[in-house]
Amino acid sequence: MEQLDWNKLSPAHLWRDWIAKSEAQWSEAVSQLLKNEHTGEALNRQLSEIQLMHRQFSELAQASLAAANLPSRSDFEALDERMGRLEDGLAQVAAGLSQLSQSLVTARAATGTGVTASALRPLRNRKPASTAAKIRG
Amino acid sequence: MTSSTARLAALSSLPNPVQRTLERMGLPGTDFADLTGPLGATPKDTLYAQGTLKLHHFRPQCESVYRVPVLIVTSLVNQPYILDLVPGQSMVEFLLRQGFDVYMIEWGRPRKAHQHLTLEDHVLNRLPACVQQVLQHSGERELSIIGYCVGGLLSVLWAALSAGAKGSKTRSPLTNLVCMATPVNSDGLESLKAWMGEDFDEEALLAEHGNVPAEWVQNALRALRPFGKVAGAMNLLNNADRQEVVRSNLRMGKWESDNIPFPGGVFRQMVNDFLRGNRLMQGNWQIGGQTVDLGAIRVPFLHLLAQDDHITPYASSRDLVQRVGSTDRQELILKGGHVGLVAGRGAEMRMWPALDAWLAPRSV
Repeated sequence: MEQLDWNKLSPAHLWRDWIAKSEAQWSEAVSQLLKNEHTGEALNRQLSEIQLMHRQFSELAQASLAAANLPSRSDFEALDERMGRLEDGLAQVAAGLSQLSQSLVTARAATGTGVTASALRPLRNRKPASTAAKIRG
Repeated sequence: MTSSTARLAALSSLPNPVQRTLERMGLPGTDFADLTGPLGATPKDTLYAQGTLKLHHFRPQCESVYRVPVLIVTSLVNQPYILDLVPGQSMVEFLLRQGFDVYMIEWGRPRKAHQHLTLEDHVLNRLPACVQQVLQHSGERELSIIGYCVGGLLSVLWAALSAGAKGSKTRSPLTNLVCMATPVNSDGLESLKAWMGEDFDEEALLAEHGNVPAEWVQNALRALRPFGKVAGAMNLLNNADRQEVVRSNLRMGKWESDNIPFPGGVFRQMVNDFLRGNRLMQGNWQIGGQTVDLGAIRVPFLHLLAQDDHITPYASSRDLVQRVGSTDRQELILKGGHVGLVAGRGAEMRMWPALDAWLAPRSV
């Protein structure tokens, strides 16, 4: 007989279980509200206001941080841009190296200096299990 | 010993409740990376890079692979490692073990300099460049594409535009197309459509940020299931004694909070042409001056959908299988949500085997 898990009968567990199970209905109710055009309009008005506040706050914060000789968001963005460009450059180097090593392998295989292409690249002749079984049968 | 080092030593000797709880759960150490495991760790080589885009080739794990290579086209707004979460829970690893030769496009994180990237750049330039690289690297003349979410939409657009007119001599290298949770009909995306209707000022947003910030993308996706996070937290608390559930929750949590900014140019087109105009369904969506005709897609086609997908509801995706011109076409609706379709236990049990069973006989 399966042992009773008393933890699962605790009020907190049952309450959490109920919340998790009824989430879909709650989310659906709010989603229905979001589907309403008027809600969309109100939401967009609020977003525009938040956007404006965000811009004003950013300008203010940037000036204060510059006065305190501290980096601001735009400084970090500029740094992110530079790091990103470095990362992109590294990826191009990695891709170049990968192509170079591929060409070397192909060249060595062609000249027969110990490496065969098939030893490094798998054969492309796989068949699905059922087809293979049919062929064997 | 100085007073500050003495204070530090005293602090570190205090009992750490987080550490104690983790130890009690059998999860010693508070290093996040240790808890989640290595994300996106399947061995791969970067074959091609263009700006932020990278094309990866996963190292094959079988002695022989299927003749037709597979190119995975990921979403523009999510990190691609959802398809290669951790060893044992990775769709990519599963495909490699089944004998597929797998390539993946990682679009990368657009910066201010990339705000002007448009759908034309993705569909007519970046994606075809990757296709050419895959063909060149594999030595094949054909490939299969698996597109997820917005990646599926990009794949569909490219497939339709590259197919050529019926009977034309130019042949597209595409031989199979698999879409996963791909929206095509914006009438089915009611919440997004109501929110981003005529009142929504996308130009102000783009003027301010260039690209749509990742936080915006994240909040928009969360708004589609407002109490999802609460339910997730409650489930986590109820399963706090199960290590694997905790780890899995942390992985998903990390991925969900790791969105990518939406390139400004693409966002503008998606809002105007896709969401508001529903041009794909109207049959008048033009990409680079060419009209997208879904009927031009005539290769074997599979659409994998999730029953409880709140991001790509069935109403937004069901038309795809009906509109493509393929005679060999199929739609599979599987249990789970948008993410559960491709990652996690459910995907491992249902979606991956279904994908393998459909794709393998068409890849020889």
